Amino acid sequence: MMKQNILKLGFLLLGLFVVLIIYLSYLQVVKGPALAANPYNRRLQELEARIRRGNIYDAGGVILARTEYNGNKSRRVYPGGEFTPHLIGYISGKYGRAGLESTYDRYLLGMEGADQIRNFINRLLGKEQKGGDLTLTIDFALHRQAMELLGGRRGAVVLVETRTGALRVLASSPGYDPNRLEEIWPDLVQDKNSPLLDRASQGAYPPGSTFKVVTAAGALAANPAFASSTFNCPGYLMVGGYKLTDLAAHGEVDIKKALAVSCNTAFAQLGLEMGADGFYRTFKVFGLDQDPSPGIPVRPGTLAAPGKMTPAELASSAIGQGEMLVSPLHMALVAAAIANQGVVMRPYLVDLIKDSAGETVYKAVYRSWLTATTPDISGIIKAGMIDAVRSGTAGAAAVSGMQVAGKTGSAQNPHGQTHAWFIGFAPADRPRLAIAVVLENAGSGGSVAAPIAGKLLAAAAAKGY
Amino acid sequence: MTAGSYSGKKTGAVRCRPLEIKLLFLAGFYTLAGMLALYLGAAGIPEREAVPAGLAAIAAFLLVSLYWHFTGYRGDCFLLPVTALLSSTGLVFLFRLDPAYGVRQFVWLLAGLGALVLTTRFSVGFRFLSDYKYIYALAGLVALVLPVFFGHEQGGAKSWLDFGVFHFQPSEFVKILVVLFLASFLAENRPVLTAGTKNLGWLSLPGPQEWGPLVAMWGVSLLLLIFQKDLGAALIYFSTFLTMVYVATSRIFYVLFGMVLFMAGAAASFYFFEHVRARVETWLNPWPYIETTGYQVIQSLFAINSGGMIGTGLGEGYPEFIPIVHTDFIFSAICEETGLIGGVGVIILFMIFVFRGIRIALRTRDEFAALVASGLTALMGLQAFIIIAGVTKLLPLTGVTLPYMSYGGSSLVANFILLGLLMNISHEADGG
Repeated sequence: MMKQNILKLGFLLLGLFVVLIIYLSYLQVVKGPALAANPYNRRLQELEARIRRGNIYDAGGVILARTEYNGNKSRRVYPGGEFTPHLIGYISGKYGRAGLESTYDRYLLGMEGADQIRNFINRLLGKEQKGGDLTLTIDFALHRQAMELLGGRRGAVVLVETRTGALRVLASSPGYDPNRLEEIWPDLVQDKNSPLLDRASQGAYPPGSTFKVVTAAGALAANPAFASSTFNCPGYLMVGGYKLTDLAAHGEVDIKKALAVSCNTAFAQLGLEMGADGFYRTFKVFGLDQDPSPGIPVRPGTLAAPGKMTPAELASSAIGQGEMLVSPLHMALVAAAIANQGVVMRPYLVDLIKDSAGETVYKAVYRSWLTATTPDISGIIKAGMIDAVRSGTAGAAAVSGMQVAGKTGSAQNPHGQTHAWFIGFAPADRPRLAIAVVLENAGSGGSVAAPIAGKLLAAAAAKGY
Repeated sequence: MTAGSYSGKKTGAVRCRPLEIKLLFLAGFYTLAGMLALYLGAAGIPEREAVPAGLAAIAAFLLVSLYWHFTGYRGDCFLLPVTALLSSTGLVFLFRLDPAYGVRQFVWLLAGLGALVLTTRFSVGFRFLSDYKYIYALAGLVALVLPVFFGHEQGGAKSWLDFGVFHFQPSEFVKILVVLFLASFLAENRPVLTAGTKNLGWLSLPGPQEWGPLVAMWGVSLLLLIFQKDLGAALIYFSTFLTMVYVATSRIFYVLFGMVLFMAGAAASFYFFEHVRARVETWLNPWPYIETTGYQVIQSLFAINSGGMIGTGLGEGYPEFIPIVHTDFIFSAICEETGLIGGVGVIILFMIFVFRGIRIALRTRDEFAALVASGLTALMGLQAFIIIAGVTKLLPLTGVTLPYMSYGGSSLVANFILLGLLMNISHEADGG
């Protein structure tokens, strides 16, 4: 009798240990490194402090981030200062990490590929562990020029190579000095201008009239007959008892002319013709609802759900107003799609990754991301955009010796003056560069954004891009 | 006293000592590998004492085995290698965490092995132990009361006596007295406790003269533990008590009743004692208390979690982020640096210990021996379970040592005495 009880006791005790084994497996293996990122867990920092973090270079080899040693203490230095904080990001024991420093953390710390083994051996031997280097597609001189043209105003510039997807400028203003992050952080968080926000990739703006490019592509795809039809513009449009006013009475316009003069009436009509579903489809076809993952996170664009789109909402969305919000990077890709006969190349920021021994671990290969429209349709829209620069609203983007195609926008918003927009590409006959410029509450796109785009396109072309 | 030569036939079990020595040699290579890694500087600065200490520790284990071999001792041959593995793992990790603790633990390990030899030498005919049950009760009480008046508070528990060079924790030894007391008392009163003398409707209960001393003893010791704030010891005493009562009487009613009593006590102390409430709240959700009471267990979770499958390697983790990692939290350090494999390995060693202990209890010839063996096994198993469950946040954290591994002289010596008692019972069962 008692022996039976002892046996039961044995099973109970062994059972308890089995429970422990199962629970421990869950804790160590299933749960994975979930707790590693907790700020109270100092392990990651300690491990990193023992590794010489790799450098980040621009396309021409200019150092944008490096590790400096003062005795035993290392410090991350960003020579790009206020010009590159959003793009490069930061690493801070207190405030975490952001930008490329965060995305490519494991490469910079030598935790990938051959470096993983090399650093394991170095650790065992007590030698210095080293991380790999990144080379970006960014051209620091152009990027800096874009930041200077933005001049501390709230806004963003994105310059992308249409044939490869390489991002040459990804500027967000105002910047801040990441070298003094921990010191200025409390002010940055309080600042009304939100300097911590990466406006180029995370900004959420109504695109205004620049969106007419997308509407045009969608309408032409739905009904090619629009290419030859004309619209009467009396200077306003009644939609569901709501009066949508235009800047002027443009009279009889075709689609090219409508783009060049930025006729609201014509594009609101096209939007209504497409219907909510067609409009939504077009938004997706241009990849506006996606994060193209160029190396830092991009905010996917948003718009009212098709089921909830009233005719009034649809008409205003068709001219880039309403509830629709997109990022400057997305709009640069819209321009690139028209430039590249409808094909959008996957945008990317990191061209080359080398490990600590100088061996190439990764080399970017450009590939198409999506096909937004057809060569025919993009040809029609391009003609309209060329006219917009030559004789329409976007004249200020013109560059001597190079044909620029573009579209301006002055997006109404609840925060005051309109956002000044410009999207475009150059040279128009054989496009290589697409650009998007936005300045918050700065006035009209034609007078504020278009000149910046013109200067940058000229500078980029002069450098041979 | 029944101190004696191990007379009798050298049969079967004697062949077991060479096996024990072989296993100890394996444990020796394992220990030496760990100590060598530390000597070569795995933990930063090379530890000069590590290798000699490891060698000496394993030599001491071998000497114990050889001594048993030549005196014809027939105790179980797996328990010593298991404890050798556990205590040398503990020793390696203590040297890795803080060599000063390593050296002290090494000295205590030798003292523990000395206590083991003395136990197997002088109480081999352990049956005389059943004659002194009220002396155990008295001695246990005195040992528990002393710290309340002269005690020294350490790690939140006032359960230490300060002897200048070292601190002595009576509750580690009292737990053995508790098992001996319960075993003698239950063996004597088993028929009455099992059958009962009074009928309360469907329930038959023994009279107060039978269960009175039992409950009184327990009430007093639990109260003392509450005043000493040593919740871990209270939990272990109580659960060992319940398992032994069940083994002796087969009456699940006693266990349920005991658990209800325990729950009531736990609920009451939750409301009346700040330190109990803090423990439970920290257990339920430690994250809001991450800067205060939850800090330790969260650091322990970080350590265990960072270990993964194979761990960071000896000396490559950061277990020192856990406050007082060398005592209660040594298991977390092992999990961080040797991973799931190491953690499960330690648990399996305790499972082997429990398995051998239960086997010994099953092979005994009388109730006293069976109760002592199962009681000591339950004590060991429950203590290991409770602290491992505590540092992994499966149960609320209660400060007890991980047997044979945590830093602590009282704990180490007491557990080797416990081992000696188990060995003696198996010596008898194998034809003493």
